[in-house]
Amino acid sequence: MSPSHAWPSNAAQPAPLDTRVRMETPEGIDLVLRPAGLLSRSLAFAIDLLIRGALLVALFYLLHAFGEFGTGIFVLALFLINWWYMVLFEVLHQGRTPGKQLLGLRVVHDDGTPVGWSASLLRNLLRFVDMLPFGYSVGAFACLQHPFFKRLGDLAAGTLVIYRDAPTARPVLPQVPAIVAPVVLTLEEQRAVLSFAERQDSLSAARAQELAGILIAPLQMPANMPPEQALSQLNGIARGLAGSA
Amino acid sequence: MRLTEARVAIRPRNPWEAVDLGVLLARQHRRLLMTSWAIVTLPIFALLTVLLWDYPSAAVLLFWWLKPAYERLPLLILSQALFGAAPSLKEALKAWPRALKPQLLASLTWRRFSLSRSFNLPVQQLEGLDGLLRAQRIALLGQRNLRVVRCLTSMGSTLEMCFWIGLMLLFYALIPQQVELDWSWRSLLEIESGWNWLEHLTNAFYALVLIVWEPIYVSCGFALYLNRRTTLEGWDIELAFRRLRQRLVGSAYALLLGVSLVFSFSPSTAMADDTVDESNYSCPLPPLDLPQTEEQLAAPGTARLLSQPLNSEASQSAIKAVLDSPPFKNPKAVSGWRLSDQKRDAKTAKNGDTSQWLTRLVLILLNIGKTLSSVFEALLWTAIALAVAWVTWRYRGWFGTFVSRDTRKPQVRRDAPRQLFGLQVDIESLPDDVASAAEKLWPEAPREALSLLYRALLNRLLTDYQLPLKNADTEGQVLERVAALNQPPLHDFSRELTRHWQNLAYGHQLPASEVQNDLCEGWRRLFTRGAAT
Repeated sequence: MSPSHAWPSNAAQPAPLDTRVRMETPEGIDLVLRPAGLLSRSLAFAIDLLIRGALLVALFYLLHAFGEFGTGIFVLALFLINWWYMVLFEVLHQGRTPGKQLLGLRVVHDDGTPVGWSASLLRNLLRFVDMLPFGYSVGAFACLQHPFFKRLGDLAAGTLVIYRDAPTARPVLPQVPAIVAPVVLTLEEQRAVLSFAERQDSLSAARAQELAGILIAPLQMPANMPPEQALSQLNGIARGLAGSA
Repeated sequence: MRLTEARVAIRPRNPWEAVDLGVLLARQHRRLLMTSWAIVTLPIFALLTVLLWDYPSAAVLLFWWLKPAYERLPLLILSQALFGAAPSLKEALKAWPRALKPQLLASLTWRRFSLSRSFNLPVQQLEGLDGLLRAQRIALLGQRNLRVVRCLTSMGSTLEMCFWIGLMLLFYALIPQQVELDWSWRSLLEIESGWNWLEHLTNAFYALVLIVWEPIYVSCGFALYLNRRTTLEGWDIELAFRRLRQRLVGSAYALLLGVSLVFSFSPSTAMADDTVDESNYSCPLPPLDLPQTEEQLAAPGTARLLSQPLNSEASQSAIKAVLDSPPFKNPKAVSGWRLSDQKRDAKTAKNGDTSQWLTRLVLILLNIGKTLSSVFEALLWTAIALAVAWVTWRYRGWFGTFVSRDTRKPQVRRDAPRQLFGLQVDIESLPDDVASAAEKLWPEAPREALSLLYRALLNRLLTDYQLPLKNADTEGQVLERVAALNQPPLHDFSRELTRHWQNLAYGHQLPASEVQNDLCEGWRRLFTRGAAT
């Protein structure tokens, strides 16, 4: 393989590709949204489809017993489930249908606000365009080509399907005495040190020592310090950053 | 591979997000990926078609079977594009045969049906592992990702089918109707060699679908692989640590270099050491005023900074006072009527009764479903009728304007002018019996009498005959309009009256006395009788 060309050092690096979108609120707060792509969305849709199908079959057998009245009710239910299932769940359940709930997705407006009646109705009515010509081909194609993974309905309604932020468990830090960092660390660096301490269990021991070894010189540890000690030093700094709790 | 040159944001993602990153990656390089894929696969497809002309299904099956061989090309491009510039089309095509050789047989036979194909491909192609090592590596990497990888492959095959059928339907929809008539299904079902081209055409649609989807599929598998390694090896941490090192050591080196340059001319080396020592601390540590235990330091509620004039409690109360005052809080007293709690309780109890009663009622009614269905039918029809009535009433103006069945141009109803060339012509200014009033007026003021008659005529023309008279019309124009009505008696009378009126008004010639009689009689004949009948 040919060696990769180094980017000219004076040229500005293009922004790295990321799946996150930053949305600034009027209060100057950055909200990070993570748009969801075709795979998770199509799975959520498949789950919803199964639920709806099962519901309709069950209702059919149940209401069949009531003769004409049952048939009438069934037809009403068919209408409701076909056209309003998605809309009602999205608007009344914080943008989540059962399928989206299972996959950790939700629907919001483009600016991150909860989805409203008009947007939800529009995006679900336009499903019938996305379905063309067969099996959501148009929708899938649009979803694969759009940077925020929008299908036509989302484009028209100005909505976004995003991953919900799951509540994170309290991280466990290694039990070492806290140390004050010998240099001032920026926010990003503090986060890196903290996540290094938090994720140590998932890293192999050799890899953890290798990572700690990178910081021996910048954090003013003695150059001949063994890597295990550098590791515990770094953990101590992480503890110092987290504060005792 | 240098992490600092990575073209994607490296951070641990959940597997679904990693797949999305793969889509974005393929999207960024789609032109290169799709062109190279097309250049490789389409000739192979054409070759297979020619060789297996009589067996179209075998041709497409073979083409499909060879997919793992083509998939090495997008991965080759993506792996280079991730940590540097993407290779050119020529470079990629040249490198492909070399990437094709290792483990091709395994990929095309016993690993062909693996659902985690795209995820395993980087392990064997980029890490060059085989046999037991490969199996161990895949087992380690695939621990949390296997479910997502399998979902990806199954969704991919479904998507291929959907696109394929969609393309066929689209093609069928675009055939002109005259051609379509000849394509009866019976003749299609007959096994004729003449229809082979059609099957090969639908096979070609499959090749087209793969151009769009396969690079994305490979890219998604690659992104999943990258994500797993990022979590396992802490790539994001390494990246941040390397940047930290660059920031601190890089700048410290520069400083050291500068300092040594300055002090290389000075004899004292001890001072230089001091300076270097200080320079290592870019920011002095804050002095700890009280030696306290960790617990005391940590508790957020306890009072701190007690040995200085503004301690934490005082500052907190000051902050609270500021936050409670107008720009942050605007307290407002709102008074109004509300239901008392007692009443609400009574209401809920009543509701509970109603629901019980309702369930019993529903149970009874369900037994006589037939009756209920008719009741519901009636209710629904009533609702529809009410809705239609309401809509009609609500938009009656709109309907009147746009849905009028009267196709003739509706009569423009204009307000009759109250004055014409300075003469009062509205009905209020005229007496009831114009002719008698004129007769009465005639001996003393013939001018007023004639004027009265003329004004009354204009009034009749405006109201009874709806003539569109304007303020700018002359007497002659009025006469022309009367002539256009095609009513000889009216026209004669009008002409006579106008002539006499003009003579009197402009020429000051009193009409003869018998004219009075003629005109009044004419008036009575025309209007009074008309009104009576």
